[in-house]
Amino acid sequence: MNLLTLAYKNLKRRKIRTGFTIIGIALSTWVLVTLLGFNKGYEQSLNKDIDAMGFQIVLTAKGCPYEAATLMLKGGTGLRYITESLFDDINKDMEVSAATPMLMHAEFDPYKGENGGTIVYLGVDNKTYPQMKSYFEFLAGNWFKNANAREVVLGYEAAELEQREIGDMMLLTGSEEEFTVVGILKRTGTQDDGMIFLPLKTLQEVFKKQNLLTMVGIQLQKEVNATAYEDKLYEIPDIQVVSMAQVKNTIISLVKSAKVIVFSIAFIAFLIAVFGVLNTVLMSVFERYQEIGILKSIGALPKHIFAMIWGETILLCSGGSIIGIVFSYLFADISENLARLFLPFAPNGSLIMLSPEIIITAFTAITLTGVLGGILPAIRAAHIRPLEAIRSDN
Amino acid sequence: MKKILSFLICLLWSANVYAAVGCDLNDPDRDVKRFFPNSTGYKTEYLSVEKAGGKELYNQMENELGDNFSGIYEKIDVPYTLYTVLDNETPVGYIHGVNQKGKYGGMQVFLTTDTKGIITNFYFQKLTSKNAKRLRSSDFGNQFVGLSLADFKDYDVQTGQAKNGSKINAIRNPAPESSDDFYAALRGVKKNLILMQHFIFDKQEQK
Repeated sequence: MNLLTLAYKNLKRRKIRTGFTIIGIALSTWVLVTLLGFNKGYEQSLNKDIDAMGFQIVLTAKGCPYEAATLMLKGGTGLRYITESLFDDINKDMEVSAATPMLMHAEFDPYKGENGGTIVYLGVDNKTYPQMKSYFEFLAGNWFKNANAREVVLGYEAAELEQREIGDMMLLTGSEEEFTVVGILKRTGTQDDGMIFLPLKTLQEVFKKQNLLTMVGIQLQKEVNATAYEDKLYEIPDIQVVSMAQVKNTIISLVKSAKVIVFSIAFIAFLIAVFGVLNTVLMSVFERYQEIGILKSIGALPKHIFAMIWGETILLCSGGSIIGIVFSYLFADISENLARLFLPFAPNGSLIMLSPEIIITAFTAITLTGVLGGILPAIRAAHIRPLEAIRSDN
Repeated sequence: MKKILSFLICLLWSANVYAAVGCDLNDPDRDVKRFFPNSTGYKTEYLSVEKAGGKELYNQMENELGDNFSGIYEKIDVPYTLYTVLDNETPVGYIHGVNQKGKYGGMQVFLTTDTKGIITNFYFQKLTSKNAKRLRSSDFGNQFVGLSLADFKDYDVQTGQAKNGSKINAIRNPAPESSDDFYAALRGVKKNLILMQHFIFDKQEQK
């Protein structure tokens, strides 16, 4: 019988205690794996969401934050706009690789629900916008035929709600004109799914917003320093610059504080588990004081006793980590849903991304800590004096 | 920081504009009380033709409607929300809505019935029409009060015709220039009543 088998049999002799210790380690591993997975998944999903916007920088009129609230509360009245001439200037800039003008327009629909509701339309340029949103795929149809077409492209959910198919007519709240559905986008998992897109010129004309824009999306040349360019944009009066990098950093810093708290709790859980292992193994050494003495008297060397006790710790920690890893895979969805409930901003896509590196890291960290924690009881056991132990009452 | 947060609010808000795709009441607490002022509560159930009877029931309902189901809102697995209105523990009526394709957009046609399936209220929760105001008027909706599935049985949703003497022929279109929406509304009502029959009243008869 080798020492590992002996260690395993020793653990089996105290099933309840061993079981609880393993559960403690499993829970710590579960938390650790989930947190590491969250760390990776959140950032990846956020990057994907930001990239999906297609712009590096968005320009809006100064005061937009307050107007955003207005848009929600008053159905889009009193919006602030930027002029198309600004877009023309930006578009001519050599540092800009592409720019697209957009006009968001909200209308109050009195026939939506009992008290009415707000409908939002996005006017986009039929040439530049599709280039920037090159990842858009059509479920059916395509973009508008020309800049003044009385046509709409619907996001997936907008088409679902309005029950529109290609060729169907649509009536836009606030206008008496009829529009033809020419494209339905595939689901993107972003805000675009709920959007009703119109040609920019059409939207401006129909809702009497000629030469006005609410946003300009900008992509820079690869060699251009984005921060320096943003500083340049800040010099334009009455303009607000929102860089996607800024947005990402803001969200990450918002989440970082939550992460610190959660990681601290995880670290405490981790320490509790380690001390639990230490306590369990140390208790078992004290309980088997005489037994270890007998083993030594029949020829077991201190190194054999050390290896046996150490083996028990390794088995407890590795077993617990494996169970914890299985838990984290099984309950990843639940953990994700819980995280979504508490996060200030949760991007689309998977928030918890479990990978082999994470699993190996967590397994190694827990097992290694257990191994270190097992040294003390193993040394105590190895130094037991056989005669003293056999003579003792315990 | 403030502007970025506001920008995020903008993004999130626009994402939520069309977040709900089911045919639920927008504000069940308020709407139930509006339709059944003396009610003390309600129970919500989520049902689908797939769960209620599968493909066989789906085909049967198409036959009863006299038209093929089409589009994503008439698939077998579409979730329907049934509100059973209670007076203490006793059901006093039902509220059920369906999505119906209109000429210019989706319609949400809600009916409230008593415990025997007689319509007590007709309500367009959502309607896009050139004559939405007239179609949403109480004068139009009140014409459905007192009708039941039995009255709609001989109504052909494809031609918009019913047998002579049918109560459906008495329903006046308040906006003749929007006849497509008027007939879509009638189709929505018939479909709604058929669904309610299978979801509620058939089960009651079986008991």
